[in-house]
Amino acid sequence: MKKILKIIAISFTLLFGASTYLSSHHAFTAEFDPNAPINITGKVVKVEWINPHAWVHVEVIDAGKTTVWMIEGGTPNTLIRNGITKTTITPGTVVVVRGYQSKGKLCLPRCIANGRDVTFPDGRKVFMGSSGTGAPRDGSDPRERR
Amino acid sequence: MTLFSQWTGKISLFTVLLIANPLLLFAEEDHSEIHDLMAHLLDPAAEAIWDSAGFVITEEGEFSLEPKNQEEWDRVLYGAKVISESAFLLSRPQISKNREDWIAVSNLLKGVGDKAFMAAEQQDVEELFKVGAELYQVCVACHLTYLTD
Repeated sequence: MKKILKIIAISFTLLFGASTYLSSHHAFTAEFDPNAPINITGKVVKVEWINPHAWVHVEVIDAGKTTVWMIEGGTPNTLIRNGITKTTITPGTVVVVRGYQSKGKLCLPRCIANGRDVTFPDGRKVFMGSSGTGAPRDGSDPRERR
Repeated sequence: MTLFSQWTGKISLFTVLLIANPLLLFAEEDHSEIHDLMAHLLDPAAEAIWDSAGFVITEEGEFSLEPKNQEEWDRVLYGAKVISESAFLLSRPQISKNREDWIAVSNLLKGVGDKAFMAAEQQDVEELFKVGAELYQVCVACHLTYLTD
């Protein structure tokens, strides 16, 4: 009887374990750390409008050291729908990006983050990620259910 | 423990897992074939589409990623055809198990592959860029539903 109870207990553990695993597995958790939020402030030096993800390169100067962060965004179409276009995010624009660091945090060979929202010099804050990718529900995606 | 109770336990475990997610059984059976198809056919083909449309903006100016010659366009055509044919492979009963939702996603993927092929034939970079976004949406929709590792 004890063995049957144990099997049932394992079944439920696997049940909930499997469900959690399935719902959280995708590109975000494969590459980024949901427990490593980061704010990146700096000048845009390069924007890659490519599928499946746009990339914004931001130059950060901290204590005299210059670091360029590669920040992954949603698809170009998603960004455009959210009001981020090639005329609004141009090289030289100073932005604040809120996002999450890549799992490898040593910036080797480069610093990479997943961007959630970007704040422009005029104070406008815009969601720059993709919906439904499994990124933390941090309030940045206006479409996510609470 | 009797043989009956041992099997009762095993069947209850199996039943609970299937109720939790029928795809566990599905994924276990076909994992290697699907994985190989994704890794060796679909992923490189999708990259061929994505890498051939878009632009990069730096302080020096704007640079298009569009193919520069027929050889580069041929790579896109090949990638598009591989996507369509991979979708057909995914829809086969051996993989689809005749699941309507799986077949529907496979058909969506085939449609995107066909559109990419047409865009590449016409060397329409704007259309290829749009199709690239559609391709990603189909990929994400499928992965969120079915990807198990």
